[in-house]
Amino acid sequence: MSRGSRGVAGQGGCCCFIIPTEVLKRFSHDKKLSAEERQAFGEMVRYEKLWRDFRVDRTEHLRAVQAILPSALTAAAAGPPAFSVFDCRNGTKLPGVLVKKPATSTDASAKRAYTQTAAVARFFDQVFGRNSIDNGGMPLNSSIHYSVKYNNAFWNGSQMTYGDGDGQIFVDFTQSNDVIAHELMHGVTQYTLGLDYANQPGGLNESLSDVFGSMFRQWQAKQTVDKADWLVGREIMGPAALARRYTCLRDLSKPAGKHCLAPQVTNFSQYRDGLGPHTSSGIANLAFYHAAMAIGGKSWEKAGRVWYGVLTGSGVKPKMTMKQFATQTRKLAGTLFPNEPAVKTAVDAGWKAVGL
Amino acid sequence: MARLQVERLGGLAGLGGPLSRIRSRGEIDCQSLSAADRKAVDKLFESHARPKSTRSKPKTLGRDTFTYRLTRATSDGEETIEVPESLLPESLFGCVRDELV
Repeated sequence: MSRGSRGVAGQGGCCCFIIPTEVLKRFSHDKKLSAEERQAFGEMVRYEKLWRDFRVDRTEHLRAVQAILPSALTAAAAGPPAFSVFDCRNGTKLPGVLVKKPATSTDASAKRAYTQTAAVARFFDQVFGRNSIDNGGMPLNSSIHYSVKYNNAFWNGSQMTYGDGDGQIFVDFTQSNDVIAHELMHGVTQYTLGLDYANQPGGLNESLSDVFGSMFRQWQAKQTVDKADWLVGREIMGPAALARRYTCLRDLSKPAGKHCLAPQVTNFSQYRDGLGPHTSSGIANLAFYHAAMAIGGKSWEKAGRVWYGVLTGSGVKPKMTMKQFATQTRKLAGTLFPNEPAVKTAVDAGWKAVGL
Repeated sequence: MARLQVERLGGLAGLGGPLSRIRSRGEIDCQSLSAADRKAVDKLFESHARPKSTRSKPKTLGRDTFTYRLTRATSDGEETIEVPESLLPESLFGCVRDELV
């Protein structure tokens, strides 16, 4: 089912730029600028709003289409995604300057962003039959070298963005393949369940990115669950973090571990509204880990299919709770694997282990 | 408005959470900001200090992005707001330092 990749330059379809609207507005009234320049900035303010609205509308439109059409039909109707990498050159204007041949770039960040993004797209295609983030061949754009010593990577609603890290706590965020998959997965969630980003849906949203990020890491290494490290962000730990024995950002198998730079809660009894999504996601992360370990083999073949099935087969559910997600995975495990009751038992036990 | 306390929250590492092992804070003398940035900060306080029900809430699809908690002293006591990174004048970024705790 592999579709491979299409060319790079010029096919990204990215026309967004993120200059804070306040700055654009300020320039549009700046008397030091010419009338033409002020007018241009004024038009950019209007365009920026149109672009933001378009992005939200496009997501809602595609989700509606995908709710009607079978998944395979929408995936096949579109061509394969194009992959583009942009260099922010330590600025904050997105997307930045197009890197012309990222696959062979001497800039290791550009090469990683390109090859790993393409690999994540292959993972979704070959394992789940999904054509890019939106299942409609959406171009996958990544910006690297964002800002100065920027300790973060993020999904802005239409593209991935990676900082270089400060060189102390973190190093280049493109170095962990699961981080790249994590950010891309936020896009998949946006186009499927459309989960909110606070309280239980927020925790689920983050967990789906960690779970599919780890699953991708295992798929790429051809690992069975017993060989996997289940870590998130192992390769982005900088010397100062490593010196304090923090070996990862998060660990799906031990979300509260002392070796985690961003530890999480591990049981639903610890959940309360207002807990950040990166903290509450430990509950669902651990449930997936327990389920996948009990099933054995490769995480993406059974547990992954159940999680993906609920993600893509439930319609748009921005307010979905962890309990609702757990219930759906229990049901789907029985439906997908009617002759393997051990899968449903493992999924059920996974959720019970975290209090759900 | 003399000093402004700035705290970075969220991001991929979930800064500012109860279990977070990174503290990301700083402080800046507002007089060191340009007039335009001071005005921008004032506007942020004006627009974000209103009751939530009267605030227009833009739809945001950003994930793992940072938000900033800004605190300043006023004649009525301390005033705190939280704003997305995209709205913050860039000159404030530099005052925040990430450190392990």
